Order: sequence, then C-alpha cells, then structure tokens
Amino acid sequence: MVFTSNPWPPIVALLVGGFLFAIAPLGLAKVWAIKFSPAKPGIQKNATYECGLKSEGDAWVQFKASYYLYAIIFLIFDVEAIFLLPFAVAFTGLTVGACVAMLIFILLLLEGLVWACQKGVLTWD
Amino acid sequence: MEQAETAQLKAELSKHGIFTTTLEDIYNWGRKNSVWPLTFGLACCAIEMIATTMARYDLARFGAEVFRASPRQADLIIVSGTVTKKMAPQVVRLYNQMPEPKYVIAMGACAISGGPFRDGYNVLRGIDRYIPVDVHIPGCPPRPEALIDAFMTLQKKISEQHLAGEKRPRHLDAELPSEFPVPAYGEHGLEPSENAEVWNPLKIIQ
Amino acid sequence: MNGQILNVEQVKAAIEAAVPDCQLEILVNGSPSGQHSIVLDNAHALEIARFLRNDSSFSLDFCSNVTGVDWLDAEVSEKIKTKKIIDGVETEVEEIKKTVLPGRLEAIYHLFSMEKKHGPVILRLRTGNRIDQISVPSLTPVWRSAEFQEREIFDLYGIVFEGHPDLRRLLMWDEFKDHPMRKDYVAPAEDDDLLAPAGNPADQSKG
Repeated sequence: MVFTSNPWPPIVALLVGGFLFAIAPLGLAKVWAIKFSPAKPGIQKNATYECGLKSEGDAWVQFKASYYLYAIIFLIFDVEAIFLLPFAVAFTGLTVGACVAMLIFILLLLEGLVWACQKGVLTWD
Repeated sequence: MEQAETAQLKAELSKHGIFTTTLEDIYNWGRKNSVWPLTFGLACCAIEMIATTMARYDLARFGAEVFRASPRQADLIIVSGTVTKKMAPQVVRLYNQMPEPKYVIAMGACAISGGPFRDGYNVLRGIDRYIPVDVHIPGCPPRPEALIDAFMTLQKKISEQHLAGEKRPRHLDAELPSEFPVPAYGEHGLEPSENAEVWNPLKIIQ
Repeated sequence: MNGQILNVEQVKAAIEAAVPDCQLEILVNGSPSGQHSIVLDNAHALEIARFLRNDSSFSLDFCSNVTGVDWLDAEVSEKIKTKKIIDGVETEVEEIKKTVLPGRLEAIYHLFSMEKKHGPVILRLRTGNRIDQISVPSLTPVWRSAEFQEREIFDLYGIVFEGHPDLRRLLMWDEFKDHPMRKDYVAPAEDDDLLAPAGNPADQSKG
C-alpha cells in the first residue's frame, strides 16, 4: 500500500484537512458576522461582571509569588525527561559506561529532589 | 405571494424526499431551540420558575437546558418577582451585560406593572420602564404551564424574526442601541423614573 | 412556646428594685391580647435591658421583634368644669380644653425567654420629638437580634440608635433621604397613579 513507498503524503493530507476543519467554521462565522450580524459592543456590556453591581477596580488579583518554586522544579524535571527520552530509544545499543553516566545524572537530580522535599518546599500550606 | 409559492415548492420537493430550507429558517430554528435563561429569580414567581424547570413541567425539553449563572452566557432573562427600586439598577446592568441576541420575559404581575405592591415606597412599577420586554406573563404567580406558554410564544417570536431588511431585530442592526441607561439612586426615588425610549404605557383617560 | 405570661406590674416592680433611679410607665393595651408595655426612660434603658437579660428569674434572652411607631402631633380635647364669672355671677361652666400631645417616635421591643419559656415582655423607648431629638440608646449590645431590626427602624422611621455598631440604611439605598414609614411621608407622584385628585396622590392610592 502507500506505506511502503512514502508515508508522508497521507500525513500531510490529514494535517491540512484537520487545519481546514478547524478554520472553516471560523471563516464561515466571520463571513456571517460581516454580512448579517454587526458587532455591537458597549461600555456597560463589556464591563466586569459583579452580579449586577458596579465593580470597583478590575479583576486582577495579586498572584502569590511562592508558586515560582513549583515552576522551577517542573522545569528541572522536564529537562531531565527530555534527556532521558533519547537514552531510552538508544538503550539497547549503548555501552555499560554510558549507562553508568546516565545513572549518575539521574542520581544527581534525585538528590536535588530529596533536598527540596526535606526543605519543605513541596508541602502545601 | 412569494411565501405561498415557496411553501408550495417546498411541499412538492419534500414529497420526493428533498428537504429545502432558507438560511433564515435554519438560523432561527437553531436559536429558538436553544434559548438559555439566566438564573434570575427575585420573589415568589421564582419558585414557580424553579418548579417549571423541575421534573414535572420540565422547561429543559424546550431548549432551556441549562440556566446559566453568568449573563455572558445567557440569552434570556426571566424577571420573576417584584423588582424593588433598590434592585432595579442591578437588573438593568445585568441585562446590559448579556450579549446579543437577548430576550426578556416579565413574569408575574409585579414584573409587568408593580403588581399588588405597586404603591410601595420601594417598588418599581414594572421592569419595562427600563428594559424592553418581549413577553409578559400575567398571574400572581403564573402557573408553570403559563411560563411554558410564554416560552413557546418567545420561540414563535424568534422564528418570525428576519435576517435582513428593515424589520430585522435589534441584534442585527448596528444603529439600534446595544445597552440601556442604568437608573441612578436619587434622593427620593430612581433617576430617571423611567426610560422614555423604552416605556410605552397605556394612558388612562378619565 | 406557651409559657406563662408575666404580670407587667411585677416586671415593673422588679426593674424598679434593681435599677433605682429609673422612671417607668405602663402603657395599658386595651385589646383582647392584653399585652401591656413598659415605657423606659432613655438614660437607664441599657441597664434595664441588661438586668432583664441577666437576671435569673426573668432571663429574657430572646428579642424576637423590634418595631417602630410614628406618633404625629395629636390634639386631645377634654371637657373640664371651671368656675367663670358670667354677668357677675360665678357659675360652673363646662369648657372644652384642648391639649396638643407633641409627636414622637417609638421603638418597641418584644422579649421572650428561651430558658424559662415565658414572655412576652414589651418595652418601649421614646424619642424627644419627631424633628431634632430623635435618638434613643441601642439595645443591640444586649440582644444581637436587634441589630438589623434597629437598622430597619432607622431607615424607615428615622430613629438614631446610639451605640449601634453599624447604623446605616437597610431596605432603602444610602442616598435616599426620606423615611418612608413616617405618617407624613409623601411618595413622589408618578404619571400612572390611578387615583390622583388634586392633593396627595400617595395618600389616596394607599387607600
């Protein structure tokens, strides 16, 4: 079948088809809006909702800075996972020395995680 | 007339298994069968509205599947109950915050004209003083069947709306206003006491 | 809650024994309910309220209702016999003497006891007049349930409760200027008042 010769044309066709599937209704809606239904914004229509009351200020609350720790830890382990992926793919063709090097890599990151846990950084308070 | 001819053509074609429709019909059909109300109950009529949504009378089978808590997601506001003057600006603000197309049902005597409490010091004599009302339901309170009948009347009204031309509804017309002024709390009452562009009372000639 | 009904004379005597300088007055209620009320003087009202709540024989811990009354200036005419000199002869003549009772506002408290299951004891606090002496002490520090009800009376009658933790309008909005439940309140005239002769449309349509 097609697979044996070149796998890419059906994939490209599906990609384009998927893209059109998403874009076409949006395009139709745009055409409908231009032809029939004009935009009718208003100051009160776009005002912040507060159960019918006049809202003072806007809805931007102060974000808690202590959440940055979760972001940093996620970043570290995400990068680690990216390094582990090619290692897993090429695992069967590697020498023992490569495995030992990867093990040291994982252990270093594990030690960082243990340090973070002991510091109480990951507890939700 | 054009309508009679098209109706005849439609009937002919449907006999042969061909379904025809117009853009206007499809648009209105979609809109009228999915009118989502805003949860907005003020007083006793709200209890009847709740009863209408429950199992025995079930408004959901007419398309009012979910009552939305936010006006941004609602098509219809059912003003059910006495509107006090203190609450009136909030009702108008909520109506303004609904996106077009939007409809109003004034349920019960109090929402139509103040009802049995119209001489009260804090009672607004009808919500149609500030916002345009599409369907009025008389009753104190109206039965759930009356609310269902009003809903069907609204659906009929929607299905008769045109897509283009002079008689098109407010949400398709860029000239007509998209929001209505909110009354302010005055020293002795609301200011203004009514919105002259919206309120068309019957004059009592003595 | 069908407990015993307290004798109002006994309540008055007990209060006078506990709070020596107070000036009380019993207002007799002529209706079949027979719920007579005691008018307190504003200077000792808080002390009397605390006594009624804390005393073990009364233990009035539940204030079920606080309401307001507006008394307009009332003319009372009574016939009195006086001696007058008419044509040189001293004769007894009946004259009609008219006195004007000045108007005032009242706050009325209904008290019950959950512990002893008796009540109601009805207290009245009077203001000086309807115009500028409109303050009475607030009994919210004694009974918390009076908090919103005193706010409502402030909103609708205009009585200022001194010592209330949060005295502002309840039913009407803060910018509102009138006191709607006063007897001389005139609602703003509207185009669709059904019965509107020349005069006061609000009075007429209120029936």
